[in-house]
Amino acid sequence: MQDAFLQEALTIATTKFIGLRREAFAGFPEGEALRDQARAIKERTLQELDRHLETLIANVERLGGHVHYAATPAEARSIIVDIGRRAGARMAVKSKSMATEEIHLNEALEAAGITPVETDLGEYIIQLAHERPSHIIAPAIHKTKGQVAELFTRELKRPAEPDPEALTKIARGELREKFLQADLGITGANFAVAETGTIVLVTNEGNGRMVTSLPRVHVAVMGVEKVVPSMTDLMVFLAILAKSATGQKLSVYTSLVQGPRRGGELEGPEEFHLVLLDGGRIAQIDGPLREALSCLRCGACLNVCPVYRQIGGHAYGYTYPGPIGILLTAMMEGTAAVRDLAHASSLCGACADACPVRIDIPRMLIELRREVDDKKIARWPERLAFKLLAQLLARPGLYRLAVRAGRILQRPVATGGRIGRVPLVLGEWTRTRNLPPLAARTFQERWAQDKDLQA
Amino acid sequence: MTGRRASLMVTCLGDLFFPDVGVSIVRVLRKLGVAVDVPTDQTCCGLPLFNSGYHAEAAAVARRTLALFRDSEHVVVPSGSCAWMVKHEYPGLLAGAGLAREAEHLAACTHELSQFLVRVLGARQFTSAVRGRITYHDSCHLLRGLHESESPRTLLGNLKGAELVPLPGADECCGFGGSFAVRLPEVSSQILAKKLANVEATGADCLVACDAGCLMQMGGGLTRKKSRVRALHLAELLDGDR
Amino acid sequence: MTTRAEFLGRIREQVRRAPARFPASTASRPRHPAAEAETIRRELAERWRETLDGFRREFEGVAGVFHRVVSVDRVPAVIEQIARERGARELVAWHAAALGVDLPAALGGHGLDVHQMPAAEPTGAGERERLRAIAARADLGLTGVDLAIAETGTLVLVSGSGRPRSTSLLPPCHITVFDRTALVESLRQVGVFLEAWHGDGAAPARGASINFITGPSRTADIELTLTRGVHGPKEVHAIFVEQGLGG
Repeated sequence: MQDAFLQEALTIATTKFIGLRREAFAGFPEGEALRDQARAIKERTLQELDRHLETLIANVERLGGHVHYAATPAEARSIIVDIGRRAGARMAVKSKSMATEEIHLNEALEAAGITPVETDLGEYIIQLAHERPSHIIAPAIHKTKGQVAELFTRELKRPAEPDPEALTKIARGELREKFLQADLGITGANFAVAETGTIVLVTNEGNGRMVTSLPRVHVAVMGVEKVVPSMTDLMVFLAILAKSATGQKLSVYTSLVQGPRRGGELEGPEEFHLVLLDGGRIAQIDGPLREALSCLRCGACLNVCPVYRQIGGHAYGYTYPGPIGILLTAMMEGTAAVRDLAHASSLCGACADACPVRIDIPRMLIELRREVDDKKIARWPERLAFKLLAQLLARPGLYRLAVRAGRILQRPVATGGRIGRVPLVLGEWTRTRNLPPLAARTFQERWAQDKDLQA
Repeated sequence: MTGRRASLMVTCLGDLFFPDVGVSIVRVLRKLGVAVDVPTDQTCCGLPLFNSGYHAEAAAVARRTLALFRDSEHVVVPSGSCAWMVKHEYPGLLAGAGLAREAEHLAACTHELSQFLVRVLGARQFTSAVRGRITYHDSCHLLRGLHESESPRTLLGNLKGAELVPLPGADECCGFGGSFAVRLPEVSSQILAKKLANVEATGADCLVACDAGCLMQMGGGLTRKKSRVRALHLAELLDGDR
Repeated sequence: MTTRAEFLGRIREQVRRAPARFPASTASRPRHPAAEAETIRRELAERWRETLDGFRREFEGVAGVFHRVVSVDRVPAVIEQIARERGARELVAWHAAALGVDLPAALGGHGLDVHQMPAAEPTGAGERERLRAIAARADLGLTGVDLAIAETGTLVLVSGSGRPRSTSLLPPCHITVFDRTALVESLRQVGVFLEAWHGDGAAPARGASINFITGPSRTADIELTLTRGVHGPKEVHAIFVEQGLGG
């Protein structure tokens, strides 16, 4: 929040994305029905998730791919490092994948002597800067072109001008070499079509295509909830995903990858591996955060969230920021991890409105708050304060007493019809805002006492 | 004139901090021929407890409130958030106590003020208590919870003596969010600052909202800035014929 | 390490325990996709002009460059013009059988080095490397189009023998040639074709990758400034042949 550039960049970026999304759906009357349909497909798929995953696995294997099962991030890292070692890989090129961020894959690859290279321009930038992404769709949104130029000059040992075109060209050249040399390509998966054993990657730069065509081995890491039953279902999601994320009708590249290369093909990996990731997802199938399993990782909720727009992604402290990020963090790290984050929301509901699959994020935030309270994870002074409040609101006698006490307490600070600065809890409010004083007579007191009001 | 009866659910913030709003509502409704009563010993709909996750406590308060309004023909609420609480959350919250049916009934009879005036009574024309330019902020629960953005604008647009100008980002949160305002006060204040910048840019004399929480937040910011813009509740503007 | 049985078992248990949140269904799939795809083709044959107009509008909207020629013998001139304007020397192309017309032959000479990708499987790793190096060096990549989607201005390309992925990916300028038989209106119709290709119908090719290409490669990752040609091509050209490619 202190960083003025970050603030301005966030405002400009989120405002732009909001506008683009609105325009895209304004010219798309079928959009609302498709959103309902997408939501239904996700729910129905969850109702039979085991069956669809079995179909997916059978098809991936039929096409010559291998499927692996990772209950935890640690298992996923171990599986992927193992694949890399067996392949004798020295370098891995990575297409943008939140799942690989979530499992902290890069450190594990480095430790195993496999150099991970991020190839999505935004991810490449933050990798060079040793930072984490600040937005799901635009990970380097917090960096100025000047900062990127400095970064390239320093890390790539070549002069770089602070011009996006020039910087992009440099990145293209550097990464082209990597694509051609890498032994291992690692991606996530936006969707997996069970019926055909197809992994779907949605990108704009072309790195998804590179990573899945040029290296000898391709590993796709995917949360179990990403499976969709058929190609017909897939089209429903493709019709709304890019629109929700960036306002585009489709992203530049939608790549359908169906196993390793086939006979007669010049290119494509020799080996294809699909790593299915649990990481807290399975427990939510019958859990309070089940709805969050529908998330398409489009970022639309981030763009409209007044809190995210103010504080940016890093402030959330975990892999996934923004409204959905709080729910995903609870899913993956446990409820205690979101003791405070669950309150980083004014419950305004803009996220639920913007979500392409209509996830009711505010409702689940309230549920998380409830769990935090029920499990006594919340801090005791706060719990005490709310229990006291509950008593006041349940007993009119106490309520009236509190009002009388309040009037006395506020005398020293209520001047000129308003309350200026006060200490403690309300001090937080009054640093930037006035407070109205408790009325000399509450409405109910006036109603009881003023005959003309009653008549 | 209309032969209707309405019970006023004044809300905790309304009762304690904005009693004039309640008075204006009584006057406005009476002029329309509605007989108004105010069930005694109201406290709160329970939303502050509910939003912070204290659901058992919220249910206890809700149960009390349900009992107070059991015999009401219509319940009028000067707050989108409280009306939303009663209409959307009471049935689920009180199902455990076997009160789902009563809660559904109350939900069906409960209306936020602007909805009651426009959609139930069909009353649209009022004389403004404040002359000059006015601008309207959509409070989140009214807009997204109750899907209501038209009724307040209909009332404000038709006001004799006042000119309604649009507020850029009217549908953006003011930063109140209940306890959010004191849990994350800096973020809440910065969100508020954006809202107030939009408000002052309209050149309006008066900012109108249908929620006491929003009015505390925005009004508190405006008076701290010594702005010439006044923050008022819809009811106060409609109470122009004195 | 978790076994398949344990992993799926956990999911199965959760699914059994969890109540449905609301009655829901997946999208209804075509019962006979190949037949439905045929019907789509037939109907579109009647309105190919409107469909083409829609495609052109959307394609140009994503910075695609659209060309139209009457007959296939006019295509080499267009390609040579594109090459001249860019000072391009090397062109890599799908095999003639995949293109549907022997453009590589027609393009020979006139200052362009034309490399046609072989239809047969490469003989070894050395051959693969050599061909890849050609694609990486080439200025222009020439491919056909399996489906051209009017709703979004998208080109759909299936990989396979004689139609490698790199042709539409590595060179900075991607040129495609197509006719009215590739046109479809919507993503929904594409779904029918995809069902058919994987089910009871015949796919255009047997490769492991199907790519939807909607304009040139782009990013806005630096200060939200749009730049093109990040990893994929900087330009995409689509040459429409009125009288058709075949024959």
